[in-house]
Amino acid sequence: MTIQSIFIMSDLGEVMFEKHYQGKAVDRSICDWYWSELVRAQSHRELPSVMVSPTHYVMHVRREDITFLACAELETSPLLAIEFLNRVADILEEYMGELHEDSLKDNFVIVYQLLDEMMDGGIPLTTESNVLKEMIVPPNLMARMMSVVIGEPPSSVTGVVPPSVASTVPWRAAQVKHVSNEIFLDLVEEMEVSMDREGVLSLCHVYGSIEATSRLSGMPEIIVRFHNPSIIENVRFHPCVRIVNWERDRLLSFLPPDGPFKLMSYRVKNLVNVPVYVKPQTTYQSGEGRLQVTVGIKHDTGKPIENMTVTAPLPNATSSAEVETNHGSAEYRSATRTCLWTIGRIPRDKVPSLTVTFKLMDGVDKPTDRPIMNAGFKIGGTALSGLKIDSIDVLNEDYKPYKGVRAVTTAGCFEIST
Amino acid sequence: MNVDNRRGELGELKSQLRQLAGSRAPGAEDLKRELFKKVTSYMTVGIDVSALFSEMIMCASNADIVLKKMCYLYLGNYAATNPELALLTINFLQKDCQDENPMIRGLALRSLCSLRVPNLVEYFTGPIKQGLKDANPYVRSVAAMGVLKLHHISPASVKDNEFQKTLKVLVIQDPDAQILYMGRVRSRDRTLGTASATAKRMKEFSEWAQCLVLELVSKYVPAHANETFDIMNVLEDRLVHANSAVVLATCKVFLHLTMSMADVHQQVYERIKSPLVTLITTGTSELAYAVLSHLHMLILRSPTLFVSDYKFFYCRYSDPSYVKKLKLEILTAIANESNTYEIVTELSEYATNVDVPIARESIRAVGRIALRRYDINGIVDRLLQFLEMDTDYVTAETLVRLEMLTACIKLFFKRPPQCQSMLGAALKAGIHDSHQDVHDRALLYYRLLQEGVGLAEKVINPKKQAVADFAESQSSEIKDRIFDEFNTLAVVYQKPSYMFLNKELVGNTESESLMGERELSSPSAHDGFLHQSEFSDNDMLLSASEKEDTRLISTGNGADAYSAPEISILDVAPAVSSSLLLEAPATVASQPKPAGTHQREMPLLPEFETPVPSSRQATPPLASQAVPMDDLFSGLSVPDTAAAAPAPPPQQLVLAPRPSLDAKAFQQKWGQLSVALTVEEKLAPTGIMKLATPQPLNVHMIDRHIFCMASGGKPPNFKYFFYAQSQPNFLDPSAQAGFFLVELHVDTARAMASGKIKADDVSLAPAFAELFRVALARFGLL
Repeated sequence: MTIQSIFIMSDLGEVMFEKHYQGKAVDRSICDWYWSELVRAQSHRELPSVMVSPTHYVMHVRREDITFLACAELETSPLLAIEFLNRVADILEEYMGELHEDSLKDNFVIVYQLLDEMMDGGIPLTTESNVLKEMIVPPNLMARMMSVVIGEPPSSVTGVVPPSVASTVPWRAAQVKHVSNEIFLDLVEEMEVSMDREGVLSLCHVYGSIEATSRLSGMPEIIVRFHNPSIIENVRFHPCVRIVNWERDRLLSFLPPDGPFKLMSYRVKNLVNVPVYVKPQTTYQSGEGRLQVTVGIKHDTGKPIENMTVTAPLPNATSSAEVETNHGSAEYRSATRTCLWTIGRIPRDKVPSLTVTFKLMDGVDKPTDRPIMNAGFKIGGTALSGLKIDSIDVLNEDYKPYKGVRAVTTAGCFEIST
Repeated sequence: MNVDNRRGELGELKSQLRQLAGSRAPGAEDLKRELFKKVTSYMTVGIDVSALFSEMIMCASNADIVLKKMCYLYLGNYAATNPELALLTINFLQKDCQDENPMIRGLALRSLCSLRVPNLVEYFTGPIKQGLKDANPYVRSVAAMGVLKLHHISPASVKDNEFQKTLKVLVIQDPDAQILYMGRVRSRDRTLGTASATAKRMKEFSEWAQCLVLELVSKYVPAHANETFDIMNVLEDRLVHANSAVVLATCKVFLHLTMSMADVHQQVYERIKSPLVTLITTGTSELAYAVLSHLHMLILRSPTLFVSDYKFFYCRYSDPSYVKKLKLEILTAIANESNTYEIVTELSEYATNVDVPIARESIRAVGRIALRRYDINGIVDRLLQFLEMDTDYVTAETLVRLEMLTACIKLFFKRPPQCQSMLGAALKAGIHDSHQDVHDRALLYYRLLQEGVGLAEKVINPKKQAVADFAESQSSEIKDRIFDEFNTLAVVYQKPSYMFLNKELVGNTESESLMGERELSSPSAHDGFLHQSEFSDNDMLLSASEKEDTRLISTGNGADAYSAPEISILDVAPAVSSSLLLEAPATVASQPKPAGTHQREMPLLPEFETPVPSSRQATPPLASQAVPMDDLFSGLSVPDTAAAAPAPPPQQLVLAPRPSLDAKAFQQKWGQLSVALTVEEKLAPTGIMKLATPQPLNVHMIDRHIFCMASGGKPPNFKYFFYAQSQPNFLDPSAQAGFFLVELHVDTARAMASGKIKADDVSLAPAFAELFRVALARFGLL
């Protein structure tokens, strides 16, 4: 169950970093092999995450335009490797602010230090960002300013060994101090919907997570109670959550890490109402097509539906198209044969509609494919499932912390057949 | 950029570093930092800066932590693999292990232990010992990791220094550090107690350590059912852990613990279902793919599991096609009376997908479901719809229409009355299709049907084919094996690892890799286990009596393992539960070998090494093309070419360093070829001494590029199957690289080895026999 080497590659296939964990280095040529597979598959998305090269197992994860490769000569747990690579990507993103070739190259010393602390001998070690940040200082704006003002080169290195490295609470240091104590919980829900052209749902799931940000001194004990915990299932928790209490009383009791973290994720049990409808209608006549899409509120949550967008790809045989809308803005991108319709907030007094008239290539009377449309939206201030947090209690400490709860629902993967 | 330029730059760096090394001038530290950064950046882009080694160490020896850290990065890159450089760093690192800063102590110790050079081991033990007693937990955990690394370089020194005892004390303070050691080395003391006790402490470990511990627990065989339930109850909450690796490792534990309890096993399926589904729906597609592969396997084992939850496997438009393909397979597998209608409706939706391969897959899937004969009328309607839909179009998607036609006609053979009208429509549409292929195929079917339905069926849909079409292509034996490998790459790849991992590689890396699974110090228990597994891979090669032998061995060793007082439960577990074959494929042929042997491209025996003008070169290219491409038969029909070429002198045969032949192909060849030659050779007494188990000979032969497919037996009789391949001739690539197969009996009592050699290319057999004979004769002498 060990990983032998890790490679980080740029968008152009350049090996930016390599780190070998088991003495014997895996030759860089494995990256060439990967790249040739990629060229054959034509797209990163079409390359399975676990592959077998003539010499190694190769697992890869792609984030932004950066490819993370893990190589193992021996059988290992695929999830361990993939999960670890994801963690590396997360941590680097958190450190650099964004995953970008340049930012990684500029901070190569930090990247190497992180790779060194995150894994030893092929076994993942410290992957908690809170703990890592105590050992390796992120290249933040402050450090850059220091270097300009004082002329001292910023150092990413601390000599401090965080007390949490080997403590029994791996996610939290012992001596956390904050001037103002606060804890925020964000309920984030995403819909996954597949709808056919008549509006019938073939798939409708709501997935949620609670993103927490904790800035609390000492060793606080937190209890979160839900108003209606019975509506969720398939829960997964951050390691800090005591699962016994959830099983027994359906409440979350935990000693939080310091900083931002994902407290839990869940799936909503019962079918919820889809807040919007997107209705496409396609007709063809003598080599010309006409796609009409209407959008509206289907189930009113009481909150406005914002950032509404519709992405409608046109059939492969399309040669040209024109778009027209009565609300928001719409454009046609010929390179991807896609119409982008930005509606914004859905009005209550009229029905936004989009009309696309498109010409098919010569000789094509009616295309064979029916592309799938995508919709995006955001509903602030409410969790679509209706999940509500009743109370947050902070025990064990004397201070009175500031507590906040927010909720937001987004479209996630919202697909409509045309 | 030219090399000279770079060399000049390196030289400049070198002199700058040297100047700074002793300097205490103000600003020197900053300059050093800049230079170190430059060196590191060169290293990053792949330029070899190992020439600066001594200067780097000189500069870093009195430096602050910033420089030291960069220096350790540098060391990690070059020293670990270069023994000479490693020697230079020892002093420097040993000194840093005494530093007052715990971070430096820890990092220095980590770098020190990463120098995998066996003859430097004596320098590590002191710092590790000290590190284990360090006041700082960070250093202690690095030291515990160090013990583990040390164990793989030199198990003896771990024993000599009584590190196990120290670690035992440590476990009370640092569960994580300890468990890393535990997990890997499986220390033989009883600190772990029972697996259930370990499981109870699970929450004290970090998420990654949990994965390792769970892997161990999965190999444990509980004493009684209550213990099984205890462990499962304690571990149940791991199923909702945020780390998917923990979730999957827990599933594995559950599946394995209940393997022999059929009813509970089924409950386990139900229990692990929802955590796994959660992973596929909420994770990235990379993660989803790995988990789906596991679900696919579970579903093949228990098709009813997801009968009502089939919607989880609906394809999202945004799924990558490899995920879609897997989902289609799963949907096909779970279709039954209750859900066929919905599933087929959904699949029909995909048939209009822009992605043509997926559209094809989905129509095929509909066809496969149709063959199961649930809701046949519904499906027929749907297929007809496809047709109506498609006949209007004239251009693309011919392939899809071809698939359709075939699906229709196959359906017709299954259910003639219902399908007749549909087939009529399909053929009509097909014949009027403007595309030549579709038109031709429709016409072909039509004419075949005119000749008689029975005849047409014989041609289009021979019985065998229809079965192969929907029964899972994998044999249940292979499925079971994959199941044993739950939570491994094999599952994702849908092949047991022994089928695609080069055994030679496995053997080597096992012994070389620091983290290999093997327990060096308990050969008896483990070897017994190994034999068992090798045989089950290959038992089709062996006669019944030999199988008997194997069984004797395994039970014998299993009993040994039981009675051996010092072996911990976790160690015994795999040996006892050998029917589970947990680690088997990964540990096959894992006998210790000198490092790096498989990288050696040349055979050890120089007298047989005439690299370029090999025997095949003499064969004219034209003649060699006459050799049948299928090398399965080339051994039988080869005389043409062999006669054309003069019989090659024996010493010109060079064996390929990495032949690729799997067990199945071996067996097939063995059956097809006849014995070309026999050899008999006396073994050296020193060789015989080593043969308490069959392995040492396998290892010896690998150095000569002769590989073992299977081996077994009990003293004094051992039996081996070897194979080798002649080095393909790069001057004449059309020439087939032939295989040599050997069945060898070794009688240690008489010190004799006798073997039968079979060869693809009979003309090369004498040369090979000579090589083989010399290799045998050398066994034990080197």
